[in-house]
Amino acid sequence: MKRFFVVAMLVVGMKYAMSQEQIPSISVSFANTPVKEALGEIEDKTGYKFFYLEEWLEKIRVTGNYQNTPVNVVLDNIFKDTVLNYFIMDSQQIFLMQNNQIYDSLPDDFFGAENQLSDDDFPNYDQLQDIGPLFLESDDSGTRGLQVVKIGKENRNSGRRTFTLSGRALNSRNGQPIPDLAIIVEGKDIGTSTNANGNYSLELPIGENVITTRGLGIQESRTKIILYNDGSYNFQLNESVEALDEVVVQGNRDRNVETAITGVTLIEVEKIKNIPLVLGERDILKAAITLPGITTAGEGASGYNVRGGRTDQNLILLDNGVIYNPSHFFGIFSAINPFTTGSAEIYKGNVPAEFGGRLSSVFDIESKDANTEKFSGEASIGPVTSNVVLETPIIKDKSALMVGGRATYSDWILGALDDEQLSNSTASFFDVLAKYNHTINENNEIKATGYYSRDEFSITSDSIFNYSNRLVSLGWDHKFSEKTTGSLILSNSEYQFGIEFDGESNDDFDLGYKNNETEFKYKMKYLPGGKHKFDFGLSSKLYVVNPGNIDPLGLDSDVTALTIPKERGLESAVFISDSYEVNDKLLIDLGLRYSFYAALGAGDQRIYQENAPKNSGTLVETQTFDENEFIETYGGPEVRFSARYFLAPDFSIKASLNNAYQYIHTLSNNTTVSPTDTWKLSDLNIEPQEAYQASLGLYKNFEGNKYELSLEGYYKKQKNLLDYKVGAQLLLNEAIETEVLQGDGKAYGVEFLIKKNEGKLNGWLGYTYSRSFVKLDSEFSEERVNNGEFFPSNFDKPHDISLVANYKFTRRFSASANFVYQTGRPVTFPIGSFSFNNSEFVFYSDRNKFRIPDYYRLDLSFNMEGNHKIKKFAHSFWSFSIYNVLGRNNPYSVFFVTEDGDIKAYQSSIFAIPVPTITYNFKF
Amino acid sequence: MTVVSCIEPIDVETEDFLDALVVDATITDEMDNHTIYLTRTYRFESESTAEQGAQITLSDDSGAAIGFDEVIPGTYRSSVPFAAQEGRAYTLKIVATNGISYSSRPAQLPQNVALDSVYAQRITNDFGEDGVAIFVDAFDPTGNSQNFRYEFEETYKIIAPKWRPEDLLSTGIECGVDVVPKTKEDQTCFASKASNRIILANTSNLEENRVDRFMVRFIDGENYIISHRYSVLVTQYTQSNEAYSFFDALNQFSSSESLFSETQPGFLSGNIFSETNQDEKVLGYFDVSAVSKKRIFFNYEDLYPGEDLPPYVNPCNTIAPMLISQGGARCVLSAMVDENQVSYYDENQDPPFEEGPYKVVPRECGDCTVLGKTERPEFWIE
Repeated sequence: MKRFFVVAMLVVGMKYAMSQEQIPSISVSFANTPVKEALGEIEDKTGYKFFYLEEWLEKIRVTGNYQNTPVNVVLDNIFKDTVLNYFIMDSQQIFLMQNNQIYDSLPDDFFGAENQLSDDDFPNYDQLQDIGPLFLESDDSGTRGLQVVKIGKENRNSGRRTFTLSGRALNSRNGQPIPDLAIIVEGKDIGTSTNANGNYSLELPIGENVITTRGLGIQESRTKIILYNDGSYNFQLNESVEALDEVVVQGNRDRNVETAITGVTLIEVEKIKNIPLVLGERDILKAAITLPGITTAGEGASGYNVRGGRTDQNLILLDNGVIYNPSHFFGIFSAINPFTTGSAEIYKGNVPAEFGGRLSSVFDIESKDANTEKFSGEASIGPVTSNVVLETPIIKDKSALMVGGRATYSDWILGALDDEQLSNSTASFFDVLAKYNHTINENNEIKATGYYSRDEFSITSDSIFNYSNRLVSLGWDHKFSEKTTGSLILSNSEYQFGIEFDGESNDDFDLGYKNNETEFKYKMKYLPGGKHKFDFGLSSKLYVVNPGNIDPLGLDSDVTALTIPKERGLESAVFISDSYEVNDKLLIDLGLRYSFYAALGAGDQRIYQENAPKNSGTLVETQTFDENEFIETYGGPEVRFSARYFLAPDFSIKASLNNAYQYIHTLSNNTTVSPTDTWKLSDLNIEPQEAYQASLGLYKNFEGNKYELSLEGYYKKQKNLLDYKVGAQLLLNEAIETEVLQGDGKAYGVEFLIKKNEGKLNGWLGYTYSRSFVKLDSEFSEERVNNGEFFPSNFDKPHDISLVANYKFTRRFSASANFVYQTGRPVTFPIGSFSFNNSEFVFYSDRNKFRIPDYYRLDLSFNMEGNHKIKKFAHSFWSFSIYNVLGRNNPYSVFFVTEDGDIKAYQSSIFAIPVPTITYNFKF
Repeated sequence: MTVVSCIEPIDVETEDFLDALVVDATITDEMDNHTIYLTRTYRFESESTAEQGAQITLSDDSGAAIGFDEVIPGTYRSSVPFAAQEGRAYTLKIVATNGISYSSRPAQLPQNVALDSVYAQRITNDFGEDGVAIFVDAFDPTGNSQNFRYEFEETYKIIAPKWRPEDLLSTGIECGVDVVPKTKEDQTCFASKASNRIILANTSNLEENRVDRFMVRFIDGENYIISHRYSVLVTQYTQSNEAYSFFDALNQFSSSESLFSETQPGFLSGNIFSETNQDEKVLGYFDVSAVSKKRIFFNYEDLYPGEDLPPYVNPCNTIAPMLISQGGARCVLSAMVDENQVSYYDENQDPPFEEGPYKVVPRECGDCTVLGKTERPEFWIE
């Protein structure tokens, strides 16, 4: 109907095209006057009559002082910043029009130059489209009934045929931005997705565009946008009720096929709440390990192994600040509060050029923006922890604060463990997060995050261990123009651990370790329009590591205070990447990063004989470096290249190649991550680690995007991985280089994933075949492991099957299941026993020649939503889950000890029986 | 919710066995016929075997050499008594039965640190258990030697709680049993046991080279071995840094793990190598260390005055087995006597049905020789 009106107006406009001649002048002044009143005043003073729809004028106010000014000039001013045009007819009537411009003459060359008409000169249709007014096509089959939005004011003098539409996608319930929403223009091969702040920008042809948005947990929307000029439009979208039952983790739907980058996964916390829980904790990082390519060494092992990489090769970012130990309680819980977390983007293949410093992956975790509309909160009560998050607006619709905290009740869980040592232990942990977000105006937004997590545990009554992470990050997003945006990021994070020992003897001590890093980063995004998208920037990071200090504890202690001198390093990088759409089918994403590292003084460095093993016997001299002197520099170019080619509209092939350097390494002589692992910076004797990865994948969506299929393969080579001599002492060791080895790694694998995104039954099935090897070779036998040949790494688990399925009975009731099967991890088994010193001992030879039995586990959960009455104060959610339903006693490790002179072999497992859990969550 | 995680013993078999020479050699500054043990590695499911017929020579950097003789299979004793000297570098050379020669890296005697005192105290340990701790103190004003390894040998007196001067003797006729007077002493015995743990102390990160209240042994208060009189001889070995590192790593590999993290094990090479093949794996260590020894005694009364004795190793319930099983198929009591399972305790007056004529107790309740030897050790002081 509206359309009809527009076309009719156009005809009328043409007919009276010649009548705009005698325009009276008036004197009038407005001061924040509603437009309707202003127009009334003009009507009174001129005898013109205005025609318009009142809704167009709502909220528009005008200010201005006009002395004897022609009415059309007054109106030009009044409507300058609106989407309204006007047309004066017969000196009596003025029609207001939303968006449309009425032309009273055809463009000069609308019909070409008549006198020189020839076949060559005759404009083709495309050229015609490039000039002149916009005629709306009236074929609207299938778009009837859609919300129609008109954007921008048509500009008479514009020759442009494409305009930029930008804006934000917001959740209509709480006003929060919706990241990773796919925005697709129907039938035009144009699309984008919203960024973490919900912002998007699209280059659209003038005129009618039907835009579909799709996002996880968000109702699909279709909007007809009639575009007249550059403009902005914010999508106000509803959460889909189905989202409550919908699965989880998802590489953004269309991105699966569409983006160029390989090996990227998005996990949204809101969507993982149906995965069966262990001990009542919804956990974003635990959800990650149900996806191909991300594993842990075992249940209860801290740290993640991504595509055959070590646990120290993951850059775990929370709001751009680094978290060094993202786990609580030996890895059973993650230190990331699920309620404050928005999403986690995990890059395991090609890492964007803006990230660097770790070889295997980036876990880019963003906490959600606080609710700027109203006070809200979420809480859960579980068997081990309780969790509360509160959000409150500070300035309505502009800024808000979120504070979340989580803590254990008690250490009863340890008492429940069937281990004599542990049942005498105590453990407690907590984490808190505060986030402030402030939208200053549409061009400026600032965010600040503070985070602290702490664990404390004691295995024997004479020692107490503790560790903590602390981070602060500040971000300022600035929009310079529709095409250029910039982000400034400052962050500081610190990880520390301590051991207090208070025993019988005179050796009571207090031991501490700490590392701190401060990063400055500036990145810009430039969208010149057309086929390129640029991202570029620079970053610089200062590391300060206090490798350890020990102090006497108490007056009776004879322990000598000792402090290993601190290490400092500066890691800087410049980066640029261009996402270039070569043609409709080929998209290339080329990123380059140059990273530069300098180990900084002051400090002492030991120089060893060349071509000799590093030990106290081959020490040549100790060199001393001054404050800020470069001890050694490393660096090099890093390539991040990926490309996508559409074989069919829903079928693509992608390839990527990338490399990276890493200048900070963990020191650990354990087979799995331990809380007393320290980090060491590269220096004169320890070179940076390097990795090279190539990957190739096929991506196919079926039946719309109901099913997603992907198959990805990779091959990875690593250099200078840090490993350790047998029996190395790493803590409080000044000459750490005499205890470490550096070697090569290689890993390869194939990852298969099929997902069903919709329907009563949804979920995914992943299968990974992967291998990971290490080689520690040297001409000296003391620096050689397994004869200098490649051997399986501690986390080499070739077969990995993971199934997550949800079934929705009704809107309120759903059930889910999670099944995991993995090859047992490699272990070093003794190859015999011997008698020595009146006892028996076992002895070991080659590392990792054996495997513990295969791992499998089934978890089930049943979820019940409170009802969905809008007016209800709080939404509640009950979850009842059973972890390890089959009661499989999955061995975590097998070890041999000498007890009372005899050898005993033991097998340990973490959750050997079904563990039921009930949790209650509510949201208001 | 009860059991969540667990550590359970498992049976394993050696899958990929490596046969290798094991050298257990500690030479000290004590004037003695020093002993070296040579064995071979073995599978979990079998026993250690001796390396017999090897040739062992100990030489020092002055050119002096001492030979060793095999006294029992695998045990070699120096042909002459000697004491390791400070400032000398000792090398051990072994020619194994199969002809392969091995030699050690040279080892020197560290400076001796005397054991100041050894003492016993009643404490409550880290796990909340009451018991007796054996502590040592040592002090080295020079600070030159900082690594200590301890061994102990404990000896304790055992008194059979239900001892009687009579014993039972099987007559061999129709399941008959006689009460006869005992012909040998078996009421009071002495038993000895050597430590079988690696006990290490290190003072390198202490301000002065002082070992203070270092616990070498904890005896649970319920352990019967402290019931009467207990003695312990503590030997302190002052070790070189290399030797200490070896023992420390060996200890780490063989001691209880945390449930969640595990030390990466690997081949721990000692200081003995094959002369023909550098890559051949040789286990064990040749250690030259300085020793200091101290012995202490204490009575139960000293630490637990007026308190009840800890429970005996056996609750010593009396029974009165019948002479012949019901139906007469076999002998009961005489079979037990022949198997040395019981000691005579008393007569069973008017035995009810299903009981025999004598009350008996488990053998060790009336005869301490099951647990120890009756002869008093030479060092024993009452």
